[in-house]
Amino acid sequence: MFKLNLKIALRTLWKNKSYTLINAGGLAIGLASCMILLLYVAHEWGYDKQFSGYEKTYVVYNNSKNNAETLSWAWTPTLMAGEVREKIAGVKYASHSTYPNPHLISYKQNNFKAPAVFADQAFLKILDYEILSGNAEQALTGVNTVILTETLAEKLFGQEDPINKVVKFNNEEVLKVSAVIADVPVNSSIQFEYLLPWALFEKINPWVKNSGWGNNSCLTLLQLQDEGQLSAVSAQMRDIYKRNIPDATNEVVLQPLAKWHLYDHFENGKSVGGRIDQLKIFFLLAFCILLIACVNFMNLSTARSEKRAREVGVRKAVGSSRAALMNQFLQESFLLAFIGMLTAFMLMEIALPFFNSLLNTSLKINYTDWRFWVALVGLTLATGFIAGIYPAFYLSSFEPVKVLKGFGHSGAATLSIRKALVVFQFVFAACLIVCTAVIYQQLQYIKDKPIGFNKNGLIEIPMEGNLRSKEKMALLKTQLLESGAVTGVTYFSRSLNEGGNNTFSVSWPGKNPNDQVLFNFRSAGASFSKTIGAEMIAGEEFSEAHHNDSTHMILNEAAVARMGLKHPVGATFSWGGSPVTVIGVIKDFVVESPYQAPAPMILYHIEDEFEYMIARMNPEGNVSSSVNKIDEIVKAINPNYPVERKFADDNFEQKFQNEQLLGTIANLFGGFAIFISSLGLLGLALFMAEQRKKEISIRKVLGASTMNILTLLNKDFIKLVAIANVIAFPLAYIISSNWLSAYEYRIQISLLPFGIAVLLSLIIAVLTVSLQSFKVAKANPIDALKYE
Amino acid sequence: MIRIENLEKVYKTEEIETTALNGINLQVKEGEFVSIMGPSGCGKSTLLNVMGLLDKPESGSYKFMDTELLKLNDRERSNFRKANMGFVFQNFNLIDELTVFENIELPLIYNKVPAATRKAMVNEIIQRMNIVNRSGHFPQQLSGGQQQRVAVARALVTKPKLVLADEPTGNLDSSHGNEVMELLCELNEQGTTIVMVTHSSHDAGFSNRIINLKDGHVISEKINKGITEELI
Ligand SMILES: Nc1ncnc2c1ncn2[C@@H]1O[C@H](COP(=O)(O)OP(=O)(O)OP(=O)(O)O)[C@@H](O)[C@H]1O
Ligand SMILES: [Mg+2]
Repeated sequence: MFKLNLKIALRTLWKNKSYTLINAGGLAIGLASCMILLLYVAHEWGYDKQFSGYEKTYVVYNNSKNNAETLSWAWTPTLMAGEVREKIAGVKYASHSTYPNPHLISYKQNNFKAPAVFADQAFLKILDYEILSGNAEQALTGVNTVILTETLAEKLFGQEDPINKVVKFNNEEVLKVSAVIADVPVNSSIQFEYLLPWALFEKINPWVKNSGWGNNSCLTLLQLQDEGQLSAVSAQMRDIYKRNIPDATNEVVLQPLAKWHLYDHFENGKSVGGRIDQLKIFFLLAFCILLIACVNFMNLSTARSEKRAREVGVRKAVGSSRAALMNQFLQESFLLAFIGMLTAFMLMEIALPFFNSLLNTSLKINYTDWRFWVALVGLTLATGFIAGIYPAFYLSSFEPVKVLKGFGHSGAATLSIRKALVVFQFVFAACLIVCTAVIYQQLQYIKDKPIGFNKNGLIEIPMEGNLRSKEKMALLKTQLLESGAVTGVTYFSRSLNEGGNNTFSVSWPGKNPNDQVLFNFRSAGASFSKTIGAEMIAGEEFSEAHHNDSTHMILNEAAVARMGLKHPVGATFSWGGSPVTVIGVIKDFVVESPYQAPAPMILYHIEDEFEYMIARMNPEGNVSSSVNKIDEIVKAINPNYPVERKFADDNFEQKFQNEQLLGTIANLFGGFAIFISSLGLLGLALFMAEQRKKEISIRKVLGASTMNILTLLNKDFIKLVAIANVIAFPLAYIISSNWLSAYEYRIQISLLPFGIAVLLSLIIAVLTVSLQSFKVAKANPIDALKYE
Repeated sequence: MIRIENLEKVYKTEEIETTALNGINLQVKEGEFVSIMGPSGCGKSTLLNVMGLLDKPESGSYKFMDTELLKLNDRERSNFRKANMGFVFQNFNLIDELTVFENIELPLIYNKVPAATRKAMVNEIIQRMNIVNRSGHFPQQLSGGQQQRVAVARALVTKPKLVLADEPTGNLDSSHGNEVMELLCELNEQGTTIVMVTHSSHDAGFSNRIINLKDGHVISEKINKGITEELI
């Protein structure tokens, strides 16, 4: 019986090639989209879960409270890990480490700037990276040792065995390679290429040893003895600050390592989601697209049912049971799902590289992973079942007598279900169009929003190696200006796009003592605002005359407003207990999130703290030749370091990564969803046109023009698409305003996205339907009428 | 009114080429009632379809009141057809989804007749055809004879110059058949030119002239005495 069914199924599919193509094609695109999205979801979901003890590992978060809000971050004092080890029961390991930072590492002629992490031995106990060679056991307990990742070892040493060889760190320290570990997994939050002992960190930065509980400068990880200890440990950890500094307001929360990446948004000291929200959207999208492809199948199968009714009637008449018939129809849909899956496979393998380069990811199918195969088989079966169950149910319900006598007018019920399904598909499509348009509008709005300085043609060069010396810094400046490649040069203690470096210890006359306000602070060079194209609102900016001046400050507008200064220039306030004077006010400019109003900022002028040179490129010059000149000059002065010159606007772009990703995915998969929907529509139109062939011919004989016929056939579909849009609009409005509400700076939702949705969905529908009906409308009318 | 010369029509299928019309010469005068007869497959329907601009011949000439119709493009053909011709088919070809009234109204809509006028015209013809109490019914709810009367009504409602009927009585019993034939005669007496394909010599007896086809040729013409004398 199975064989017979299979034979019939294959024959039916073969006989109706266009339907099979539409169905299997739709399912294939749906499945491929679904699986690619699921791969992405799995990739994100798997973040930091590669370590054997990840379930009992926690990241220490520091909640610092002030009247207005609680700020949470995973920056903790260096002393914390030691104290936890000593005093808190239930903790198996506690480690402190730095966050990854690029440093120069060299072996003979090979030198690279690669991200490094300084960590203690417990770090490797908690995060058990795979050790490929050497001995990692004691590697981090010494001072002058290093653990390399495989890739870096290969870059430095080529074919040589790196173990016990000596490399140079920052051109200063000599380190012995003690072990090589596998590359850090791409979906791991801590991305480094080599590990260095904490003792080395203390050696290079003497202040670390003396830094107390007020200095939150490192990452603390805990691994519990078992998960059951969490509440006890949390309770002990919470007030660890208060136990060490009497008037501290900080509290500690433990964030599971597994949630570190996805639940990165904190409100009032609690993790309230973050990337996970976006991930949920993608997860939902994956299944909606698949569902849409299933709907195609349902639609076409029921539409064709009248053709198959005779087969059902005959089978029932010769004694087939309903169950057997359902079985048969389900087998057909499983077969189709299977064909779709095979095609989806090919599509995926072809599409993944494009997808990866588009989204900046490195997803791949892991054929050795059993979960992949389970998902694959599961999805195929689910697709076959969802797509097939309704048609099977419907088709097998035909009464043989009625069917064999002819159908008459009984198609109405299925017609309305088919219509509902088409409406459902287009609701989804229209929603996606609106949301995509809103995402892009928001993105554009933020990108176009003035950021307070002119980031175009601005480059940043880190002051490292030779450039740490004042003479070389000055030399670079003169040479750059002389070369004509740049027109202005200044310095900054951080990259223009970097956050961090902030303090609570600012007070001013009339400040509420309970008021904790976070101020960003930066050391800025002479002619800072002039070079970056910012605007001084009052007073003057730093000039060469302010040599190592720690008493004169420039405030940004936000800081002036926060302090409530009526006459800022000449006003005094206290920072870290010492009085300082305001000499100028700079208009707010964005260094952190472009989605929020800039935080208060204090600028001062201490040359020793300059970390970056910022230069304005000569607008007259040719960009690539200027860049070459700059690189040559930098290389000549600082030959041991690779040139790290960056464009400020490139760095700035990275702030939009999340939104860009969302926009691209919504656009891409929205496009697929719409394409699948229109495939379904095409099938339906194909069927309708065929079913109405005779009617169309009669109408043509009676004088209908091609246009008349096209209008006739399109009218119904246009109505459906219009209804779908009407249903979609409130939905899309709710979804997109919900999404927008997370942004401080956001667009008002306008009519434009809805207009686009209406227009686009109508155009797509009309094109799809006309494509098919045109043939019928053009056909010689007599062909359809001749042989009845 | 109609002058057909050397009309040829060949059907090509994968296996076989059929010459359906093989050099037809034919004239129809205004106000005439012509029957076309001949054995099955001799090309009668093909000829009628060509005359109705529903099908294109390979070669030849087809003049309608001195206009060469075979040179027209699709749109012109369609316009000419709806302005000048009406069709009656053996299998009625009514649209199942439309009522009797709507079926008859359809050609008027395509001829862009204003709604009010349309209604009056349809009502008039429905009365004439004696199907008033059926106007709200769907085709399946009518007998074959009634359906054919609706089809005739639909063919006439635009007051065409030429009515083409392909075995209009083929699916009807003799009494219903006669009803339809009487309708056609009445129409002809009011001045409409009619070309009818039929297998029945009884039906052919209603016409002025009988044209016999065989293998795509006109083999003979017979003038029905009595009725036609004054025309010739
Ligand atoms: N679409 C077609 N494709 C191929 N051959 C065709 C086609 N239409 C008609 N023919 C052939 O052309 C010839 C003439 O057909 P036509 O329908 O004109 O015959 P007819 O005289 O009307 O016959 P009947 O009295 O049975 O209706 C026949 O031999 C037929 O097989
Ligand atoms: Mg015929």
